[in-house]
Amino acid sequence: MNLNLEAEKKNTYDAIVVGTGITGGWAAKEFSEKGLKTLVLERGRDVKHPNYPTATLNPWELANGDRPTQEDLKKQGVQNRTGYTVRQSSKHWFVNDLEHPYTETKRADWMRGYHVGGRSIMWGRQSYRWSDLDFEANAKDGIAVDWPVRYKEIEPWYDYVEKYIGVSGQAENYPYLPDGKFLPPMDLNCAEIELKKAIKDKFGRLLTIGRTAHATAPLPHTPWRGTCQFRNMCIRGCPFGGYFSSNSCTLPAAEKTNNMTLRPNSVVYELIYDEQKGKATGVKVLDAETGEQMEFYAKVIFLCASAFASTYIMLNSISKRFPNGFGNDSGELGCNIMDHHLGVGASGSLDGFEDQYYSGRRANGFYIPRYQNVGNDKRDYLRGFGYQGGGGRQGWGRAVAELALGADLKKLVSEPGKWTIGMTGFGEVLPDHSNKMTINHNKKDKHGLPVIDFDAEFKQNELKMRVDMKAHAAEMLEAAGVKNISTYDNIGGPGLGIHEMGTARMGKDPKTSVVNKYNQVHACKNVFVTDGAFMTSAACVNPSLTYMAFTARAVDFAVSELKKQNL
Amino acid sequence: MSTLIDRREALRKTALLMGAAVSASTVAAFLQSCKATPELNYKPVFFTEDQATVVSEAAEIILPKTDTPGAKDVGVPNFIDSLINECYSAEDQKKFLEGLDEFDKNAIKVFGNRFIEGTPEERQDYLKKTHDDAVAAVNSDPKTPRPFILKLKELTMLGYFVSEPGATQVLQYVPVPGAYKGCIPLKEAGNGKTWATS
Repeated sequence: MNLNLEAEKKNTYDAIVVGTGITGGWAAKEFSEKGLKTLVLERGRDVKHPNYPTATLNPWELANGDRPTQEDLKKQGVQNRTGYTVRQSSKHWFVNDLEHPYTETKRADWMRGYHVGGRSIMWGRQSYRWSDLDFEANAKDGIAVDWPVRYKEIEPWYDYVEKYIGVSGQAENYPYLPDGKFLPPMDLNCAEIELKKAIKDKFGRLLTIGRTAHATAPLPHTPWRGTCQFRNMCIRGCPFGGYFSSNSCTLPAAEKTNNMTLRPNSVVYELIYDEQKGKATGVKVLDAETGEQMEFYAKVIFLCASAFASTYIMLNSISKRFPNGFGNDSGELGCNIMDHHLGVGASGSLDGFEDQYYSGRRANGFYIPRYQNVGNDKRDYLRGFGYQGGGGRQGWGRAVAELALGADLKKLVSEPGKWTIGMTGFGEVLPDHSNKMTINHNKKDKHGLPVIDFDAEFKQNELKMRVDMKAHAAEMLEAAGVKNISTYDNIGGPGLGIHEMGTARMGKDPKTSVVNKYNQVHACKNVFVTDGAFMTSAACVNPSLTYMAFTARAVDFAVSELKKQNL
Repeated sequence: MSTLIDRREALRKTALLMGAAVSASTVAAFLQSCKATPELNYKPVFFTEDQATVVSEAAEIILPKTDTPGAKDVGVPNFIDSLINECYSAEDQKKFLEGLDEFDKNAIKVFGNRFIEGTPEERQDYLKKTHDDAVAAVNSDPKTPRPFILKLKELTMLGYFVSEPGATQVLQYVPVPGAYKGCIPLKEAGNGKTWATS
């Protein structure tokens, strides 16, 4: 008996999925439900729903008022660039930067966690469809390359994933933000209702409640999930399954089929390419705990590790056929890094409504969809932005600089403060070939693997757009009678939006793009990339829902191609 | 994570025990000369005993025991000691200690003694004056760097309102609300008090 052959057989599956985040979970579910023996490889530790260690801790059960310690910041200084992720309640979902470094030719903020579920545990859950305004943008502007698909082709897949994950929202019939299959919308609060009226009257602009992947009604097809309990502790993981995550939704569905093998602590670092067959035969894996090197094999491989991580694997997969990185005939692999630029907006306080309040903690805000460069609106920049914001009444913090002390102070803070309201722009970033990531062989991570170097920056179009993003936020608040308006503009580095994308872009032409319209690598038909790497442009809406739709569609295509023996 | 939480839980239980002990010592202090240095209800890690006493007494003036527990009852001094020890940079620690020292010693100009040596009334009056001047300064010019007393007030409030009594007796807190109502009469929003968390 040939031992190698035996081992090879044991490590052979129908499909391999790399990553367990939003797209990996979807690929795992779709493949295993279609009957394929599916190996799902996750580089981080296992996390089983509903075991999220901090999920039900009360404020008094978190050390130091949930603040990061100096020790935390030594280990997670880069992850703390967001200002909200390295907390006692959430820091375990973000990597140790000392163990997992990267280098920055220019500043880049790469926020991520290595565990089963990936960022589907900590994501912002905002879920918006693209419209043809977005799919046609590159072609119309002569920027980068055209998307090889249009809304009509993706629409049924949006329907499909929305129905499954549960998206709460309000249908608005707004041409540039297609309505979805919505669960009941969450409430706007008093200040937000006031702003909605004012900007409709004075600017003709729409404000709607955020469309968010929360179960505001039961989802009978996933009976193990509960509904949203309005705790607003989502970033810790939700033991109720109130919002969509891989852990609460797609991975349990995949597991039920008995077709999925999930292997945590499995760092995929290379694709195995067979020069004779002209196909990828599998992946090379480093066991994160033992350091053991292994190989796993399959007929089809889905890279769903996140844009930068999947691109890294491809750049690190050098063969005779692909001397410049896997599938990189175009020279575009690693290029065209995009994110959304944000951190610019305005806020202020609203007089009145003192006898009105709210109850429950809504993990959602309002959304003002893009109104720039549409219809007759013309700007001195391309594309546009949307706003996300929220209102509320001030808490105890307002009293620090007020005269009250002692019993008076207790009385003062026990009464809700003024209403405040604010909004932050989310702007589209243009794809630019010069914004790139490469592998830096001079620095190694804790596994001894070379690291990523980032060389990307925001360009003129983004900077011009920000002038409007700030000014319009203030104008709209003013129109609603908001006082004490202050504006801000902190652009940060690419990546801070945690919407990184574009590094293995989709296109019609293999000479200018990495994957085709089905997320299939042009030059190697049995490898697919369905995380943010495939994005040809960025639009200004949160991207995860679009990744899910394309992933489900790509699996459907891959399985039909397998049946036709085309892979 | 679990070790951290276990440790916090242990600290919290210690603080509760100490809280019980303090009532007795407060009574004792009352019976003694008014000039007696107040006693601490926890063992500081970062502060010296004197520094910890200033923080502790100041915190209790900022949020005293009324019909709801005071800063000392809920472990605020301990909270501040830990927060500065674990979360502040060396530079911010130094600044805080300088501010604390200045706050203590400036009292000599006002009532002839360091804060720590004053009577309860002297400490109360001195803190209020320092506080009110600081509030006036930051409100007349928002660019004023936050004076020490307001930093201490903020830390006191933070420690107090993340504590269970602070969050549930002075403010209101519901672990699992179950629903969101966006715009309702204040009196229908739980008990109408400020929500402890958003």
